[in-house]
Amino acid sequence: MSRGGRYYALAHRISGVALALFLPLHFWALGQALEGEARLESFLRWTEQPWVRASEWAIVLALAIHLFGGVRILMIEFLSWRNWLKNLGAASVGAALAFGLLFALSSGAHAQGWPQKPVKFIVPFPPGGATDISARLVAQKLQEIWGQTIVIENRGGAAGGIGAQEAARAAPDGYTLFFPSGSVMTANQHVYAKLNYDPDKDFIPVTKVVMGPQVLVVPANSPYRTVKELIDAAKAQPGKLTFGHAGIGSQTHLAAENFVNAAGIDAVQVPYKGEGPALTALVGGETHFVLSNVAAAVGHVNGGRLRALGVTSKTEFAALPGVPPIAKTLPGFENVGWFGIVAPAGTPKEIVQKVYRDTKKALESTELKARFFVQGLVPVGNSPEEMAREMREESQLWARVVRERKIVVK
Amino acid sequence: MTGMRGETLLWIAQRASAAVLALAVLVHLATMTYAVQGGLTAAEILGRTRGSLAWLAFYSLFVAAAAVHAPIGLRAVLAEWFGWRGRSRDAVLAVFAALLAAMGMRAVFAVFA
Repeated sequence: MSRGGRYYALAHRISGVALALFLPLHFWALGQALEGEARLESFLRWTEQPWVRASEWAIVLALAIHLFGGVRILMIEFLSWRNWLKNLGAASVGAALAFGLLFALSSGAHAQGWPQKPVKFIVPFPPGGATDISARLVAQKLQEIWGQTIVIENRGGAAGGIGAQEAARAAPDGYTLFFPSGSVMTANQHVYAKLNYDPDKDFIPVTKVVMGPQVLVVPANSPYRTVKELIDAAKAQPGKLTFGHAGIGSQTHLAAENFVNAAGIDAVQVPYKGEGPALTALVGGETHFVLSNVAAAVGHVNGGRLRALGVTSKTEFAALPGVPPIAKTLPGFENVGWFGIVAPAGTPKEIVQKVYRDTKKALESTELKARFFVQGLVPVGNSPEEMAREMREESQLWARVVRERKIVVK
Repeated sequence: MTGMRGETLLWIAQRASAAVLALAVLVHLATMTYAVQGGLTAAEILGRTRGSLAWLAFYSLFVAAAAVHAPIGLRAVLAEWFGWRGRSRDAVLAVFAALLAAMGMRAVFAVFA
């Protein structure tokens, strides 16, 4: 054997021993990790550690060297190829393997070490609203997981359009994420004739953080004691009943329009500057009903100023015990608002996956669940794919409601 | 395993398993690249693999080839580097091969069954 041949053989042996030691560990770890979805999730998180990544690269190197030596041996023994040809052939196979594996690993390395500086959540509504509260609550937990500060930047205006535009134009490096309410992503494109962002093209869904139903409330002295009585009254006097909401295109507006549409009644909408003013006006008898977020209405209901007739979830909602679902009167009716995370288009998929996985993990905290429960919100933490599908379905629903109710802002 | 016939059989098994592994590693590489590049979640990966007989067969072959190839390779290394020959070495390597096959198949069934 030539001197070069001896070196090749030695490299083949050494890399072979390394692989033979690694293989049982690899099989054992996979067998453990693949016993269930939750274990695989935690295994994937474990593989993001720097030393695991470094080990993977070492194994890639060993595999490429071993394959090079092996292919070279097979070519000599079975094909009797000449020296330069067998080395070239073997090197090609080894290099192809090494580059392929390194490509696969490096794509996963986008998320490695992220985040290394503060992350910004753009919230497209003023502080104190349900979107802002949701973002701040989940951000507290994510800060613990990431070991980095999360800066909440409130950019209110244009029904979420100002914040959405800013987030859409942010660098897609994972350091700017957008925290919208559902209507910003699934309704505004139907309500507004002109929009300065494209919810579908400018963003990648990451995860829905929380969802919550609305509650149909009337003044405490209202003659309507059930959803059916309200609907019957509206049918008896078309166009006479009024409903207040937090602004054109807001979740409270769309929830009410969805209810009016499903009930087949004719009621007049009255926009207010926010949910609070709409509820204050309702207490004062300015309007007949409001479909409010639970968090905003629950104080008035418990204080005896408003009467809750029904919730928009399919079943009774734990935060409002004794209040029946509107679906009992209008079978199939459901209207659920949500707040979630989306990323500017072009954000690496690995970072999107990491944000999703870590948010899901944060939402498993009992403390966070309790804090959301008090706000009338339920943690979700679904996958980017599930969120994308649900957004498409919701967008179709709002397109129909907006068309049928003729809600367009020019 | 001793004797010329045994050595020849091991030599053939080593080369045949090497050829299978060379191909299988490339297929495995392409699969992993797709999964990682696609950013698939755990649920999605398991959703695609479970119940697939073709993948079950492929990875079973992969594990079988590895369980044959690695112990035979180590056999030569143990003899050349440490001068360890004979039945004790072969018995240890047979246990190693069985462990490798068992752990490999456990992983395969976890993914595909």
